[in-house]
Amino acid sequence: MSDSRLVQADRPTVTRRSFLKVAGTGAAGGALLAMLDARQAPAQLKGTSLRVILWSHFVPAYDAWIDDFARKWGEQNGATVRIDHIPHLELPARYAAEFAAGAGHDLIYFAGQILTGQYYRHLLDLSDLANDLGTRYGPWMPSAKSAAQVAGVWYAVPDYFISIPVLWRKDLFESVGRPAPKTWDDLRVAARLLRPKGHPTGMQFSHCNDANHNWRALLYCFGAKETDPSGQSIELDSKETREALRFAKALYDEGMTPEVFSWDDASDNRYLASGVASWIHDAISAFRTTEDTNPKVFKETYVLPEAAGPGGTWNVGEPNVWAIWKFSKNVPAAKEFIMAVANSQKEAMGASRGYNMPFLRRRYDKPMPGLGQDAKLGTLQEQDKITAFFGHPGPMTPAAQEVLTTFIVPDMFTRVARGASIDETMKWGVGEIRRIYAKHKAA
Amino acid sequence: MGHLASGGGRSPGASLSVPVGGRAKALPWWRTPSVRRYLFGYTLLAPAVLYVGVLVGAPFLFSLYLALSDASVGAPVARFVGLENFTSALETGVFWTAVRNTLVFTVGAAVMKGFLGTTLAFLLVQPFKGRRVVRGLVVIPFTIPIAISVLGWKWMFDSQFSVLNWALSGLGLIGEYGTPDWPVWLGQPMLALASVMFVNVWRSFPFSAIVLLAGMTSVSPEIIDAAKVDGATFMQRFRKIIVPMIAPILFVGAAFDTVFTLSDLSIVYLLTNGGPDGATEILPTLAYNTGIRGGALGRGAAISLFLFPLLLPAMVLLLRTLRRRQY
Amino acid sequence: MAVVAQRAPWSRRAKEIRRHTLIYVGLTPYLVIAVFPILWMLITALKQEPDLYRMDVVPFWFHLPPTLKNFEFLFQRTFYGDWLVNTLSISLFVSAITLLTAVPAGYALARLRLPFAENLGIAIFMTYLVPAIILFIPLSRVVSELGLQDTWWSLVVVYPTFTIPFCTWLLMGFFKTVPFEIEEAAMIDGCGQFGALLRVVLPVSWPGVITSVIFSFTLSMQDFLYSLAFVSISEQKPVPLGVATELIRGDVYFWGSLMAGALLVGVPVAIVYNLFLDKFITGITGAAIK
Repeated sequence: MSDSRLVQADRPTVTRRSFLKVAGTGAAGGALLAMLDARQAPAQLKGTSLRVILWSHFVPAYDAWIDDFARKWGEQNGATVRIDHIPHLELPARYAAEFAAGAGHDLIYFAGQILTGQYYRHLLDLSDLANDLGTRYGPWMPSAKSAAQVAGVWYAVPDYFISIPVLWRKDLFESVGRPAPKTWDDLRVAARLLRPKGHPTGMQFSHCNDANHNWRALLYCFGAKETDPSGQSIELDSKETREALRFAKALYDEGMTPEVFSWDDASDNRYLASGVASWIHDAISAFRTTEDTNPKVFKETYVLPEAAGPGGTWNVGEPNVWAIWKFSKNVPAAKEFIMAVANSQKEAMGASRGYNMPFLRRRYDKPMPGLGQDAKLGTLQEQDKITAFFGHPGPMTPAAQEVLTTFIVPDMFTRVARGASIDETMKWGVGEIRRIYAKHKAA
Repeated sequence: MGHLASGGGRSPGASLSVPVGGRAKALPWWRTPSVRRYLFGYTLLAPAVLYVGVLVGAPFLFSLYLALSDASVGAPVARFVGLENFTSALETGVFWTAVRNTLVFTVGAAVMKGFLGTTLAFLLVQPFKGRRVVRGLVVIPFTIPIAISVLGWKWMFDSQFSVLNWALSGLGLIGEYGTPDWPVWLGQPMLALASVMFVNVWRSFPFSAIVLLAGMTSVSPEIIDAAKVDGATFMQRFRKIIVPMIAPILFVGAAFDTVFTLSDLSIVYLLTNGGPDGATEILPTLAYNTGIRGGALGRGAAISLFLFPLLLPAMVLLLRTLRRRQY
Repeated sequence: MAVVAQRAPWSRRAKEIRRHTLIYVGLTPYLVIAVFPILWMLITALKQEPDLYRMDVVPFWFHLPPTLKNFEFLFQRTFYGDWLVNTLSISLFVSAITLLTAVPAGYALARLRLPFAENLGIAIFMTYLVPAIILFIPLSRVVSELGLQDTWWSLVVVYPTFTIPFCTWLLMGFFKTVPFEIEEAAMIDGCGQFGALLRVVLPVSWPGVITSVIFSFTLSMQDFLYSLAFVSISEQKPVPLGVATELIRGDVYFWGSLMAGALLVGVPVAIVYNLFLDKFITGITGAAIK
């Protein structure tokens, strides 16, 4: 129970400011764990240092695992590896600074905010790595390419994505005679029945990351599209979008409280863990938090991979990919590290307690670590079939990224929930998105 | 009038020639006391001007260049597009909301800080037991790093666990959790803006009070006593003597504080990030989300520089007026 | 006045008590606004975690017994100790740089009638209008060229950009209050103007110097963006960055340790500030009365 409370593993023995000191202890240290693939360590890694930057994983146990993995990998290869973690929302600022400085980390990571399209001219071509992984564990999910390729060339290597399912309270549903939910309508009815009993639901209508993804899931499930598959023309102005907006308003009016306008990424986790929420639409980290802080509620919490809508079932995930700056000082080690982690993805998934979802098809062979044995999470083993990413069905371009960071979609839903007319909201929202895409096209 | 303008008085060594043995010896122009004074002065100024000039001035020119180009984070050297970024900003609905919010925030917070600061200063200028302790306590909001105190407020404003709501509800001033009477501080549009303004005021009003206190204690007691003897009432003393004497310091302090507030990103970013639906969107957060997180550097720069052409003349006017009126 | 002397002492006491009461009553709202959140932060720092997420418990008191665990956590499981040392070091060096540049500049602007002095003063002030969210990008290049990326020294270089303008103005005010006579006396004694500055003006204006140091500290601790952009290594982070990035993991906020971290750095500065407050107050009047 305590490991999820960890901020980080025990303080590493790296002394202050000695991070550049080359360890060079060779492979003598420690027994090689089975998790490390038996790749031949190229001699050129010995005595070098590798600096990696990652996001602060929402499941702290994963960061503890990867920091330890990096250390052991480093020992095996005679290299010093250092991983820095910063919150994922602040990574773009850091990368802007590193790029301007022409110096920074040897191996970087795009977490949720896909900047491949922004920086590809300054990133290394990693097609050899990606093709190798695709051959051995693939094929790659089609959307993986959208996160990592520009014009058919791999400038990044996808690592995993995070899926955002529905977490619901079986006991509460049963108390109002509702069976396990399968569609958005089921969720809406349940919320309507449970709110008077003090168990509303909540989805963020605010400027936060979860709002971006939750509402897109609703849109896609209703059949709405952001762009066409090429990402060139905006297709949001449609009947389906209007239906989705209408549904969201009804959902809010019937089943939520005004709190949701002030929520951030963690508020729905707390809502569930405090026992109030009848259901939330959130990543597995909320599931784990509830497990750790409120076992009673956790017992009754179940997972639905995604609710079905009139336009299908689409779960919106957050993709994470590796990339290497052209100015990286240790390209061989960076490449080797990417492969080492990719080869150990099974262990990684287990360490993440079911949070990380692979991009490679063969990793979905059952049973999947962390999910296969878990009675409640077993259904997530099919998640790759229903996962989409922002910009769907178009690619994750810089334009789509800007639409993401300016929160246009959450704002549209917020306006409608507050009673604005759907037509006005559509006009505004679609207009803004068109403008942004036009700006990027002109560039 | 020259001395008054520079607020000092004479500078030593102002004569132009040095009498030696009864005959004035003319000096070469670079050795005259005036020029020597200038040289000395500019040498003293040089470190500060160079430091700030190189590290701020040059980047400022860079940001001007960005604002006039279609640069992005991955391509900072890009096409010149003239004022297109600015016109594009004007066409965005949320931009106008951000301008409005920025002005409301800054002016509103300034007024609150002025009011609370002044009244607190009046209380603190009185001698009373425990004054030192009170002054020490009241300063803590300012010394706690802003990032952390704002996070504390985030929890204090939380929609479920807010300690403010708990207290107010306990006092019977608001309803229970779950009723419409339970304020969602960061959720209702006007309330959200007021809440972020409040955090800014909370942090800075003690500082305003201290600065004002300084000004008030500088008014020499003799003048006040003389006025009392002359029969001036409190209000008259206040208006005719105290206000004019503390006005300069009040205005410059307010000017600095306004400028700090205008460019401050942290409070809004950490509490609401501009939401819900732009209710707390201010120019710095919009610029950050568009330019840095969204990658559109040129447009982000244009948004963040937007108020500059307005503020520059305003500040210049303010500072010039102040210097003229010093006495 | 003889009339007053004949009043019974207790009625004067009563007047004093009444005056004090009025003042305390008047102060209460301010103290509540300023101190209530601090008090709450202190209590939160001493609370056990499960206590925080319960809605049925009084937030201002302890349901489970108070604990020092959050403080222990800070020092043992995070790099807080390093962050404290970094912040202290950064602030000291920034103060030094600020004084070295702002003292001469403030003196020059206050004393020497220089052409363009007024405009320079205004221009220095204007630098605050340049947005940090754009500034950090070219500054990142500077930091990297100096080889300081990912060290706290990068912040020592960058922070003076916002402490120097303010402290220049502040010191200008202090220097204006120094009477000319003592300067002239020093110069007649053969000091030269620079000598006069060092030996006479500066010692007399030491309240201004102290105040500049205090402002360098508080202003340095306000920054978040520069430290985020330039420092990614845990041990090199200053307190605000370290606390905000490492005590929050997605949906888990380590509230107890967060508040402990804030107080440990904020309260000592407030105490020092208070100690010098009187000096600050008597000194800052320079701009107002001269």
